[in-house]
Amino acid sequence: MIDPERGTRTRETTYIAITVNGTRWQGDAPVEEVLLDLLRSRIGLTGTKRGCESEVCGACTVLVDGAPISSCNYLAFEADGKAVTTVEGLARGDELHPLQEGFIRNVAAQCGYCTPGQLMAAKALLEENPTPSYGDIAHWLTGNICRCGCYPAIASAILEVVDETKA
Amino acid sequence: MLSPFRVLHPTTVAEASAELARLGDEAVVYAGGAELLLLMRNGLIKPDYLVNIKRIPELDGISVEDGEVRIGTAVTHRRMETDPVVRIRLPALTEAERHVGNIRVRNQGTLGGNLCFADPHADPGTALLVYDATVELWGPSGGRRLPLQQFLVGTYDTALEPGELLTEVRVPPLAEGWRAAFLRIERFYRPTANVAAAVSIKDGQLEGVRLAAGCVGPNAMRLLELEDQVRGSTITEAVALVRESKPYLTEKLEPVGDVLGSAPYKVHITSVLLTRALEQVVARARGTAHD
Repeated sequence: MIDPERGTRTRETTYIAITVNGTRWQGDAPVEEVLLDLLRSRIGLTGTKRGCESEVCGACTVLVDGAPISSCNYLAFEADGKAVTTVEGLARGDELHPLQEGFIRNVAAQCGYCTPGQLMAAKALLEENPTPSYGDIAHWLTGNICRCGCYPAIASAILEVVDETKA
Repeated sequence: MLSPFRVLHPTTVAEASAELARLGDEAVVYAGGAELLLLMRNGLIKPDYLVNIKRIPELDGISVEDGEVRIGTAVTHRRMETDPVVRIRLPALTEAERHVGNIRVRNQGTLGGNLCFADPHADPGTALLVYDATVELWGPSGGRRLPLQQFLVGTYDTALEPGELLTEVRVPPLAEGWRAAFLRIERFYRPTANVAAAVSIKDGQLEGVRLAAGCVGPNAMRLLELEDQVRGSTITEAVALVRESKPYLTEKLEPVGDVLGSAPYKVHITSVLLTRALEQVVARARGTAHD
C-alpha cells in the first residue's frame, strides 16, 4: 500500500463487515482497496480472476447482494454490510452447482480463465430470469469475454440448466 | 493498485457542494466509480479526496413531478433500464440504458457520473436530448437549471462550475401521439455511433421532429437544422433528406476518426441510423408496430 509519489501508506481505513459465501469477514480495509484484492490477497479466495482491470472482460465478476459487479473496480468498503458471492460459493461441499455441472458437460471452457466470471454472471442471470432465451443469454453475457471462443458451449450449458429447472 | 485517498460522506447536497468548493482540485465527486476509478488506476487523475454522494438520499430516486420524470444523479444505469416509470414514459432512454457498457457497469455506473464524465462515446445523453431533458445543478451560489445540450460542452467537458454538483435530470415525456426510438452500433464493446429520433405524424406528414446523434464528435447533439428541414415532409421525403445530410452532419457533429472508425464512416453510419430510426418511429406512430 505504498504510494511511490507521496511515500506514504494508506491514508484512511474503514472497518467493514461483509459476508463472503455465507461466512462473515470483518476488518479494516484501506479505502483504496478494491474488492478483488481483498478477496484474493487477504481472504485467500483466488477463484476470482484479475483480467483487464477495466470492467470490460468480466473475469473478476462477483455478486454483491446478488448483483454482478467488476470486483477489480469496486471499492471494498462499498460491500460493507452486504453479501458477496464468489465462484467458491457455488458448490455445496462436494456437490457442484448445476451451472458448474453444465459447463463441464458442455466443455464450456478451454483455458478456463474466464470461467469463474462466466459462472457468476450466469448465476445472476438465472436468478433474475430463470427461463432466458439464447438471445437473453447473449445480451447478458456481452461483458464476459472468452478469448478461447467457448460462447456456444457456455450458452448451451446455461440452456441445459434452464431445461433442468423446468423439468 | 489505486493511490491512497480519503473519502468524505456528505449526507446533504449543500454539504457535498461545500466540500467540493473548499477542496477545489483536490476533490472529485464519487458515485458509482465506473469511470472515475479507471482514471485513477491509470494515473490520469490523483485526487486527494473522493466526495461520496451515494449517502445523500434525494440523489437516488426516480419520481414523477409536474409531469416530468425526475432521475437522481446517483441512480444506476441498471435501475433506469428496469424502472417501469422510465420504460413507459421514456422508452428510448430504456433502450439506450439497455446497452450501456455491460451488466456490471450498469449495476455500478450512474446517470450523473455518465453525464459529468462526458465521454464522447456514451448513450444516455443522446436519448435524453430528444426528450428535451434539463439538468439541475447545485453549487456554492445556489441552484440552476440548464438544458442538457448546454450542459454538454465538449469532449470530457461540461458546464459544471467549481464546487457544482449535478443533482437531478428532469425529463418531460413526449406529448400524446409522439413516438421515440434509439439506435446504436458498437465496436470493441464501445458505442461507435448512436442516434435518437422522436416524431409525431399528422396527415401522413412528420408534424413534430426531434433528432439527436452521439459518439461521432465531441458530444451528443440535437440536429435542429435537419429537424427543420424534415418537418412537414412525408417519411419517404424525410429519409431522402437525411441521406443527403452528410455534409451537414459533418459540419454539425465535428466527427473524430479513431480506433472505432474513420470520421466519414461515422457520419455515414449516423445517417443510416437516422433513416432507420425515423422509419421505426413513423411505423410506431402509425400503429403498425408495437412499441
